[in-house]
Amino acid sequence: MKSLIQKDLYNIGHNMKAMALLLLVFAVILIPFSGPQTYVIACTVLCSIMITTTFSFDDQCKWNKYAMVMPISKKDLVGGKFIVLLIFCLVGVVSGFLIGLAGGVITHKLSFQADGILTLLLTSLAGLAIAEIMGSISIPLVFKFGAEKARMLLLVSVLIPMALFYGVFWLIRTLGGTTEDQAVLILLYSAPVVAILCNIAMYGISLRIFSNQEL
Amino acid sequence: MDAILQVDGLTKHYPDFMLDHVSFSIPKGAIMGLIGENGAGKSTTIKAILDLIRKEEGTVTFWGQELRSDAKQLKEEIGVVFDGVNFYETLTPEQIGKISNSAYTQWDPPVYQDYLKRFQLPARKEIKTFSKGMKMKLCIAIALSHHPKLLILDEATSGLDPVMRDDILEVFLDFVQDENHSILMSSHITTDLEKIADYITFIHHGKVLFCKPKDELRYQYGIIRCGSAAFDAIDKTEILACRKSDYQWDVLVADKEKAKRKYKNTVVDDASIDDILLLYVKGESVS
Repeated sequence: MKSLIQKDLYNIGHNMKAMALLLLVFAVILIPFSGPQTYVIACTVLCSIMITTTFSFDDQCKWNKYAMVMPISKKDLVGGKFIVLLIFCLVGVVSGFLIGLAGGVITHKLSFQADGILTLLLTSLAGLAIAEIMGSISIPLVFKFGAEKARMLLLVSVLIPMALFYGVFWLIRTLGGTTEDQAVLILLYSAPVVAILCNIAMYGISLRIFSNQEL
Repeated sequence: MDAILQVDGLTKHYPDFMLDHVSFSIPKGAIMGLIGENGAGKSTTIKAILDLIRKEEGTVTFWGQELRSDAKQLKEEIGVVFDGVNFYETLTPEQIGKISNSAYTQWDPPVYQDYLKRFQLPARKEIKTFSKGMKMKLCIAIALSHHPKLLILDEATSGLDPVMRDDILEVFLDFVQDENHSILMSSHITTDLEKIADYITFIHHGKVLFCKPKDELRYQYGIIRCGSAAFDAIDKTEILACRKSDYQWDVLVADKEKAKRKYKNTVVDDASIDDILLLYVKGESVS
């Protein structure tokens, strides 16, 4: 498992400068106009998308075939991708939080006080959960269709979480609740649980897909 | 025979191709050459042996054990080289060493460093800057640095110049100096196999045509070159394969000395593995 994570981090390391530049450009565009909260979510989601890029590298060098002749099991290979996704999301959320905090204070979009920081922190956690959900949905898609075809289908991994959250809002309204603070709180509290459940389900689906593949 | 690898009745169907009950075994200390034309089934056989594709029938055992995807200890003992590098091109040999070190419990960093030096491979240069020969040497260095007992090579010397191929063949010969080591090497460059193989397995249209000691092929097989009249006089049960060219028949026989004695009005040449392969693939079987 460690070797798989190492391999993906070395592979993606080459793209880190471009990614850092992209995050800074997004900071300049998003923070002054949409605020640091939007930025931290965008930043985390952007980093989570890098998981697809690692599959693309693997496809190009037929890595999966080679990995299966190494002392690596199919469970390790699939599980490794979910751990790498988590690492990417964590890098995204930490950088998004720090850049968002600094940018928010500089542009006066965020007060450098406990409540402002707490709001950004909670938004970051929600962003982490959203990125994890989207990223984990993309993994079985890429295992099934390959990195290139799956790029087209990645929209699905965006639409599913959106539909999910819209469904929750709709449910709250139907049940007579308000979709203001209450809904936001429900979403915030439930997002990590949804993300964990989603990861478990997507791991199972991915393992099934990969186990049935001929390399 | 103390077999490192035993393949029995390996079968796999595809819509336009069938691997048909392929069987052979590799004894300890031997190099087995797997030959056949492109599309004959060499790579499919290797994939089935390595459990990369699902076999429909047959068994494959390494040291008497079947390979499963989670058979980690067994995989430590097998070094595999495919026809290209399976690491992304921006990685360096140094990084690949670290990755492999985490994957193999038997990984030996000093041995890997020695191979990099021996093959003159820069440790910190991205592999995309390497020539095809350097890439193959890197693959071989990786395959040998976890102390495998069996090397499986799928067209590992294809596309290399003769000097580079000779360097690599020397490494393989060194490897089998240890009598517990063996090599399965698929190649359509039969001259390489003539240099180093102990046994030759010939696959044609997904079937094993023969699996024989190389010396038997080199020293016993022969090609009778003759005209149509002499060809008619040849006992057809002795013909393994034959081919008619413009002016003569080329007839492959299993016992050239016997043919020399029996058919005195013909020319009987030694048969190279290339000749045997060509006659089987492009010729026709009479008997």
